[in-house]
Amino acid sequence: MDAPPEARLCHSVSLTGLACCEGPVDCLPWLKTRKMLKLMGKQDRLAVVAAGQAARQAGLDEETLRQRTGLYLVSAHIPFHEEDILPLAQHSTDSLGQFSMPLFSGPGLDQVNPLLTFRCLPNMPIFHVSYNLGIQGPSMTSFPGLGQFYQVLEQALWALEEGDIEVAMVGAVADQNNFLVDYHWSRQGLERPRPDAAGFLVLRKGQAGVAKLRSLSLTYDGEPGRAHPWGPVELIHDLAGAVSRHQAHTLDGYHLSSEWEWV
Amino acid sequence: MRVVVTGIGVVTPLGNDVTALAEGLLEGRSGASAITVFDPGGLATRIAAQVNTADLPAHPDRKWSFALSATSQALVGQRLEPGEGGLALGIGLDLFSMPDLIEYLREHGIPPERDRETFLQTPSERCVHDICRRHGLTYPPQVHVSACAASTDALGHAFLTIRRGSRRWMLAGGSDSMINPMGLAGFCKIRATTVRNDEPARASRPFDRDRDGFLLGEGAAVLLLEERESALRRGATVWGEIMGYGCSFDAHGISEPHPEGRGAVLAMRRALENAGVGADEIAYVNAHGTSTPKNDPIESAALRQVLGQRASEIGISSTKSMLGHLISASGAVEVASVLACAARGKVHGTLNLEAPDPLCDLDYMSNGPRTLASGRAILKNSFAFGGQNACLVLKGPDV
Repeated sequence: MDAPPEARLCHSVSLTGLACCEGPVDCLPWLKTRKMLKLMGKQDRLAVVAAGQAARQAGLDEETLRQRTGLYLVSAHIPFHEEDILPLAQHSTDSLGQFSMPLFSGPGLDQVNPLLTFRCLPNMPIFHVSYNLGIQGPSMTSFPGLGQFYQVLEQALWALEEGDIEVAMVGAVADQNNFLVDYHWSRQGLERPRPDAAGFLVLRKGQAGVAKLRSLSLTYDGEPGRAHPWGPVELIHDLAGAVSRHQAHTLDGYHLSSEWEWV
Repeated sequence: MRVVVTGIGVVTPLGNDVTALAEGLLEGRSGASAITVFDPGGLATRIAAQVNTADLPAHPDRKWSFALSATSQALVGQRLEPGEGGLALGIGLDLFSMPDLIEYLREHGIPPERDRETFLQTPSERCVHDICRRHGLTYPPQVHVSACAASTDALGHAFLTIRRGSRRWMLAGGSDSMINPMGLAGFCKIRATTVRNDEPARASRPFDRDRDGFLLGEGAAVLLLEERESALRRGATVWGEIMGYGCSFDAHGISEPHPEGRGAVLAMRRALENAGVGADEIAYVNAHGTSTPKNDPIESAALRQVLGQRASEIGISSTKSMLGHLISASGAVEVASVLACAARGKVHGTLNLEAPDPLCDLDYMSNGPRTLASGRAILKNSFAFGGQNACLVLKGPDV
């Protein structure tokens, strides 16, 4: 029986850059223009800093980023913060404590910064990375967790294998410490995740790096496992600690493993 | 390896099956009306293109219900081995319900850090796992969230998955509904949607001088993509072929396309190159065509760059002129629309194009449907907020 086409994916793939960041970050040094800052939520800022640091570590120049780099990113569930939605809720509530569409569409909506619309889109982190690093290449944007991170990683490897790109930037970003997302985890009996973090890997074929990707396995049965869905950033954190093997069975039913050989 | 489309399921404002969709598009009907899904109150936009949900699976999340129906339709009578297939879906935002939030706050106040006992969202990706469970799919499902390009990206990645030999068949498409208070309010707040509330059927007018924003729509399309030889061996009905896929970033602005259509040009050229098709082989373009002031002239400029001197000779139309903008589902529903019309040897026109914008000076088919030249290639564009662009090269059923 022929080997599955995925079997050749990891051949001579090296990790040439890796960066993680947590908590409040100063993203100004990584921005093309300061005016973009007002459009950026926490996930956006984290993603830009992690991507910028990883690209710098990998020594990527402007032309390589623009013309020969693909961008692959998993964002976590959309963060709605109390300071954004509580004023809207309060001004949309009538004297009986009920939701009022006339109030929502009038004084309620007046409380909302129009820029919130942009901060709520799941592809905003990848936009901010593409804009600030000048990346125009192929991409995959997914959400919300570890299984999807392995998928974007696999798609990045395919793009490298097929010669569509020379460099793959593969990342994950999460800002799950907020009013609405919190319950999603608590109702599944999960501990509150780490507040907010991002990580990026830079992968190339046939070049020296800090590690080589030896294997990647991604299967699915839909049966719930135990791995926290917020795991992709944790995986990148683990890689930063030079782990050689990662394995997980996620809550949404993905079975994942990868092996890395550190130089 | 060639990849053909052997099943199509749709849920649209013009009807919830392929026949109704094709008839509506070829008759030039609009799916727009006053919003009835909820009371839009004093929102600036009070019209949309809504789905009739009477015959759809009951589910509190409309996009989930749409996706279930479209998937089942695509699989009717197919007799496929689940272990050889997979799923790639472009899916809309997880949004919360403002009435639910207010009810929660009334009961509990602001939840303390460790006592957040309600959650008002339906995480969107759960729909994908539900479809896998119902249809016995065990290939890792893909969730695409590239906004208005999401379902085109899903189709593109599913196409590549089959062409590489990883799967024999894939279900791919998208589902979305943002016709809810938070969804519509967000678009109103940035003045993206039309406010032509008194004449819903004339509100979506891509490439027209008097366009004022997009008409929000909702719906789903799921296509069954299959390796051509195995599809022909089992005697499957072939709706068309996916020949190539390309995507790109503008790397320019959140809501403003690059002024010269840089990313759009890149995505179209990558799709053509991926398909091995020259620009001179394109017979029809199904445009992104949002009816927004910014998109339409820049898409026109990008098409001129890609198609060159032939740009003004090629028929181009916008499905959104009739269905509105289905956001994450738009690309897949528009591909389904193209193939549904192509099965009748036609391409649909652009509704409400009465006074063309001078900056949109290509052949936008304001006079209704035309005959599709047999065996010629079709280009499909999808461009998203955030400058994410995805394009497909297709062919009709004579493959």
